[in-house]
Amino acid sequence: MNWYLLLGQATVNGLVVGLLYLLMAVGFTLVFGVMRMVNFAHGEFYMLGAFAAYVLMVHLGAPFLLAVVLTVVIAIVFGSLVEWLVLKPFRKDELNGMIVTIGLAMILQNVALMVFGPDPVSVPAIATGASSFLGVTVANSRLYVIAFAVAVLVLLYVFLRHSAVGRGLRAVVEDADIAALQGVKARLYYPLGFGIGIGLAAIAGALMAPLFSVSPFMGQAPLLKAFMVVILGGLGSIPGAALAGLCLGLLESYTALFLESSTADMLIFILVIVGMLAFPRGLIGKGEA
Amino acid sequence: MNTRAQPLPVTPANRETSRAGFRPVLFAVAMAAVALAVWPWLAGQFVLHLAIMACINIVIVNGLSLIDRSGQLSFGHSAPVALGAYASVLLVTWTGMGVVPSALLGLVFVALLAALLGWVILRLKGVYFVLVTFAFAELVRLVLLDAAPITGGASGIAGIAPMQIAGWLFDSRERFYLLALVMAVASLGLMIWLFQRPLGHAMEAVAANPALAESTGINVLRIQIVAYVIGSVLAGMGGVLIARYVGFISPESFGTSASVAFITMLVIGGRKSVYGPVLGALVLTPLPELFRGAVQTQHMFYGAALILILRFLPGGIASLVGMLRSSRSSQ
Repeated sequence: MNWYLLLGQATVNGLVVGLLYLLMAVGFTLVFGVMRMVNFAHGEFYMLGAFAAYVLMVHLGAPFLLAVVLTVVIAIVFGSLVEWLVLKPFRKDELNGMIVTIGLAMILQNVALMVFGPDPVSVPAIATGASSFLGVTVANSRLYVIAFAVAVLVLLYVFLRHSAVGRGLRAVVEDADIAALQGVKARLYYPLGFGIGIGLAAIAGALMAPLFSVSPFMGQAPLLKAFMVVILGGLGSIPGAALAGLCLGLLESYTALFLESSTADMLIFILVIVGMLAFPRGLIGKGEA
Repeated sequence: MNTRAQPLPVTPANRETSRAGFRPVLFAVAMAAVALAVWPWLAGQFVLHLAIMACINIVIVNGLSLIDRSGQLSFGHSAPVALGAYASVLLVTWTGMGVVPSALLGLVFVALLAALLGWVILRLKGVYFVLVTFAFAELVRLVLLDAAPITGGASGIAGIAPMQIAGWLFDSRERFYLLALVMAVASLGLMIWLFQRPLGHAMEAVAANPALAESTGINVLRIQIVAYVIGSVLAGMGGVLIARYVGFISPESFGTSASVAFITMLVIGGRKSVYGPVLGALVLTPLPELFRGAVQTQHMFYGAALILILRFLPGGIASLVGMLRSSRSSQ
């Protein structure tokens, strides 16, 4: 086997997985930033995003791009509704809010189980064939996923940086009370922030649906990884989540070259625990005192 | 199994209500508790099974409650349960020693590990502690899965011999329930006793305001380590009981969902009360059986119950008692 080729493949796979973790973790950390709530249902929203793409593409015949856009719109509306109907009394309530999202996860997972059944389904690939770069051959579908994920991130960046709503959202993440003093209507940003966080999880689900199989239980593993990422990156820090997500995906992909995947998983857990002790507030995060 | 006619711990909240006039109610509650504890022996194997699981859960959730009441919520409480179960079983296989000594040694192992781990991770606060304990529990599960030559990996360890204490074999449900009940009552007794002592008060002080506690000369880290070690040993005890009762252990029985179940019991029972873990375990152990018709609907109702109780009874079931009492004393 050619090491150069293997490394190239691992890099692309690591990028795909890293972008998945990144999208999950950024959404997760956005929700945490706005509501001070660890969202245990985040993986379930990822799963629902994948199923939404599945229904739109396979049952309704929508093209991929339209399916992704519709999924995101549905997710933001649905997420905002869930926040308003279920989570409202638990804003800023770290512990009870966290447990409520566990209840939410149970409900969502089992609704999906009732509707779609336990067997995994698949979504058609968004592209066929492969491309070669510098002698490394990569499936086109993976390149598309990378391109879409990067586009989503650029849009998110522009939205958070340059739109009034995005700036308000960042102000609430920074400090809800001071934002409120400055005239930001924090009350409107809770559902919106949650909706956008959920929307990011749903995008991740919709983008990954053509690459992995779709099942009601698919949200568990990425949720765990999102936890790892936000620990490493610092809770509430969006740049931290982005950096750590990408690093974790690449690291996982590279270690899988040399070690069994379960050993690689264990190493990553140890790394995260050690990392957290060395940097109790994450690589970039400010954390809360 | 909330049993004896023991007076409630005297705190400012209930000092005035523990007067002589309140005794008949207390007596009735104690009688009801004894009746509830005896009932499973008369009600058939299924109830007996649920009662045993409820007792084991009481021991484990008491451990979680102890850690929580020192100001740190562990989200990886399944880890010490798994370690207690595996260590006590493997020690018998490796050394051929008796069931009781191996269980005790297993618990010593859990205590040492908890002390070491606690010394490192208890410096983290709030959500960070929650997340790192969550990660640790996953790590334990992965190690148990990966060390297949020792632990049997995903297929686990089957055919574990029943508990045997001083020649008495706990090999039937009737007998094992006795053991589980004694352990549950003992763990409740430990909690009541502990939170009447200076150590328990120090834990509550640390939970209420670490900085203030520190300034009064309490070593916050040390108090939290003590709570973490005792809480982990109680969880390990629960693990020993599970292994000896079920006769089979595998990494999957000690996963995230187990940790989530323990937290759910604690919160729904009531985090602030000594009786919270007991009530939580008593209500939530049999609850899934009510929705047994379909597994999906069972979990959906479970999730909905969780949300509704937190919404309308944030202090858990134990707070109902306080509400009843305050409405009584205001009459």
